[in-house]
Amino acid sequence: MSMNRRDFLKVSTSASGGLMLALNLPGCASVQTGYEEETGEWKANAWLELTTEGDVTFTLDRVEMGQGTYTGLTTLIAEELDVRPETIQVRFAPVAPEYRNPLIGLQLTGGSTSMAAGWQPLREAGASARWMLVMAAARVWRVEPAECSTQDGYVKHPNGLDSMPYRKLVELANREVIRGDVPLKPRAQWKYIGQQVGSRLDAEAKSTGTAVYGIDVELPGMVYAAMTRSPRYGGKALRFNRDRIRAMPGVVDAFVTERGVAVVADRYWRARKAQAALDVEWDFTDAIALSNEDVFEHYRRATNDDPGENERVEGDVEGVTANAEVLVEAEYEQPYLAHATMEPMNATAWYRKDMMEVWAPTQAPDLGRIAAARHTDLSPDQVTVHTTFLGGGFGRRLTQDFVEEAALVAYQVKVPVKLIWSREEDTRHGFFRPAMLHRMTGSLSGGQLTGWDHQIAGPQVLDWYVRNAAPAQYPWAPKFLYSTLGRVGLLVEGIATPKDISAIEGAVGYPYNVPNIRVRHTHTDPGVPITWWRSVGYSHNGFAVETFMDELADKAGEDPLDFRLRMLAEEPRHRRVLERAAELADWRQPPPEGRARGVALFKSFGTYVAQVVEAGIEHGEIRVYKVVCSVDCGQVVNPAIVEDQMTGGILFGLSAALYGDITFDNGEVRQSNFHDYRILQMHQTPEMVVDIINSEESPTGVGEPGVPPVIPALGNALFALTGRRQRKLPLKA
Amino acid sequence: MPFKLIVNGREHTLDVEPDTPLLWVLRDELGLKGTKFGCGAGLCGACTVHLNGQPARSCSTPVEMADGGEITTIEGLSSDGQLHPLQQAWIEQGVPQCGYCQSGQIMTAAHLLATHPSPDREQIVTAMTGNLCRCGTYPRIVAAVESVAGGVGQYQPAGEGA
Ligand code: FES
Ligand code: FES
Repeated sequence: MSMNRRDFLKVSTSASGGLMLALNLPGCASVQTGYEEETGEWKANAWLELTTEGDVTFTLDRVEMGQGTYTGLTTLIAEELDVRPETIQVRFAPVAPEYRNPLIGLQLTGGSTSMAAGWQPLREAGASARWMLVMAAARVWRVEPAECSTQDGYVKHPNGLDSMPYRKLVELANREVIRGDVPLKPRAQWKYIGQQVGSRLDAEAKSTGTAVYGIDVELPGMVYAAMTRSPRYGGKALRFNRDRIRAMPGVVDAFVTERGVAVVADRYWRARKAQAALDVEWDFTDAIALSNEDVFEHYRRATNDDPGENERVEGDVEGVTANAEVLVEAEYEQPYLAHATMEPMNATAWYRKDMMEVWAPTQAPDLGRIAAARHTDLSPDQVTVHTTFLGGGFGRRLTQDFVEEAALVAYQVKVPVKLIWSREEDTRHGFFRPAMLHRMTGSLSGGQLTGWDHQIAGPQVLDWYVRNAAPAQYPWAPKFLYSTLGRVGLLVEGIATPKDISAIEGAVGYPYNVPNIRVRHTHTDPGVPITWWRSVGYSHNGFAVETFMDELADKAGEDPLDFRLRMLAEEPRHRRVLERAAELADWRQPPPEGRARGVALFKSFGTYVAQVVEAGIEHGEIRVYKVVCSVDCGQVVNPAIVEDQMTGGILFGLSAALYGDITFDNGEVRQSNFHDYRILQMHQTPEMVVDIINSEESPTGVGEPGVPPVIPALGNALFALTGRRQRKLPLKA
Repeated sequence: MPFKLIVNGREHTLDVEPDTPLLWVLRDELGLKGTKFGCGAGLCGACTVHLNGQPARSCSTPVEMADGGEITTIEGLSSDGQLHPLQQAWIEQGVPQCGYCQSGQIMTAAHLLATHPSPDREQIVTAMTGNLCRCGTYPRIVAAVESVAGGVGQYQPAGEGA
């Protein structure tokens, strides 16, 4: 999208006489396709403010959950404004329609969009502010603006001796008018972008225990709540031993809510102890009763009965597979996955007459308002949401159930209340990465891949999400229509909501040059609550596509690297990361004794990632020794953060590959805590090499793309090691 | 029944139920929110503090077991506004991502260095592997600990047995 500065920048005077630049950042995400941006009034969603005291404040419309937004976006402004990044104060935006990500239509952080969206406008905002300061100084000194320079918050006189701090100039700068475009710094002059400068701006607060997460919010007279939810999703609490619970020490109140039984006490531990004494009678009429076997049985039946929607068709796949010399078929099963953010779900709410305040570690404050208002007499615009630091998000905190719970308890008790989920509750009552079934068919002739047929069976994230989201897109709608709107969103997909590509992303973008391709989605939903999960659809499509490529290479009798490279002649960026990763991993040399290597390549969120995994089996357990990762994410803003996101993504993916499995038993989740929903530990951490391609292309996201390739790369390594192909996750030794 | 705790050098008398985990006493009674709740079952290390010089999982330590004890939390690690060398290293190496696990990571590392001033990589990994990090900051944690290994002398966890 080409952008003119006028389209996203407005200059004004702030209340305190400072210089205020209002910006409109475009967004993009996996939910954007097919969505038409509303025409109408221009709206800002981020602000850069310079005060006469010398403060530079950037109000950010994205949340910080570890992915580095806080640092990365600030760096862009700092570069062009010519101040040190650490001198810019960053504030999280309050909830307001102005902060909505315009292309998603909601205020949320997800889809690895922040850097791609901010790259151009934030640099231009910084450059414009700087230029106005320079013009103001030039007017004072009676010199040509073009002859002045800037350095670390000062405008310098052409004589090289005098200088003036920005703070003395902001009032004057307010009156300057920018005509035409302000040029951006050439690459060669960058001081901060692409440099290993300083540290993450939030590192100190996070190393001294002073960063305030949702769980740390403290309010006067605050009480604590514990929620007991139906052990099976969809069940309802009917009644419980209320008198006994209310008589327990410290208990303030206990009552049945739409989400389960709430126990409120003056101290957290007392709420927990009272909760343990609960005896609840449930109505399971609408509750799920499935077990894992049922889920995949359901998918299998669906794939047989319903060929699915064609999402990509080239050539004649049925024709070529019918006459294939070698026909290869495989079916892959991938389980439900939990996010397991280190900070469990929590929220704090305070209801007063005609208003509610909520403090929450949320990825979508906008939706938090709707969730908070849902079971109260308030409308969403009477709810204020304060976003805190997030102890991990990974997509989980896009769904606002935890906000809804705190709000409905607060509405009842009328004092500030903090609701914290236990780890067990967090594991069991999550919204999960959907379990998916993939059916693959490939045809080979003379060693050439002639046909690729990929059928995906499973739900779409928006099926679930739209119930929360629809009212946000129809702010005029009365509350009693919310659930109807949710259904409307489902019925007229593409109009009420964007087209949902969450099930097919990464599969439709199959990059290999094959003459006959078909990608289909059989849309079916077993009824388990789902949401986005770091890398979303790419996470399961990556495994299916790249494992099957490996199977095909094997059947073609070709090296898996060469097999792929041969079909990437027209995809230079894919080729390049694949070749680099292979080279750095010594692909052409035999691996050390007892180890094997596997490779995978996957593009997600505009970013190209190839990984080579070196693995073995020791004492009956899979050991990952080394992961080489080559990434092309366009222009790099902060190499350290790119590296962190790649290594973090690799470990996140390995946790899923080795252990990730949420299983259902008659509708109940079996796992509960970190002993049975394991994540990788330090002693299992492989050596990781991250190679970042030097690129001048526009930057793309890095928070998620490290995850998808590592799962198939490990599976492929295990195949090379054992000769046994694993088609079901998690992988077994 | 009142309990006595010496937290970061200051004595507190607390009237809470004896089975209340130390974690919630520190966080909610004393307002020391730097110590985090991750699992409540001794499985993740987010709640690690030093109790009488030993690393302890405060989520699984009833306050009665800590009665009379000396406790150091992340807030007490730095002294006179001087950051602990590990905290400095954490900032320099840019360790934290979401940051939620890091108080516990630093407390575990601080105990390691107090007892083994120059640990090798294996000792670091052995000492640290019980502290989970969902963001996957392990490589930078190792680098940060290694960067100060051998250079830490001034900090000693309060109490005996360190
Ligand atoms: S919260 Fe104590 S070990 Fe996890
Ligand atoms: S930094 Fe997020 S859990 Fe460790």
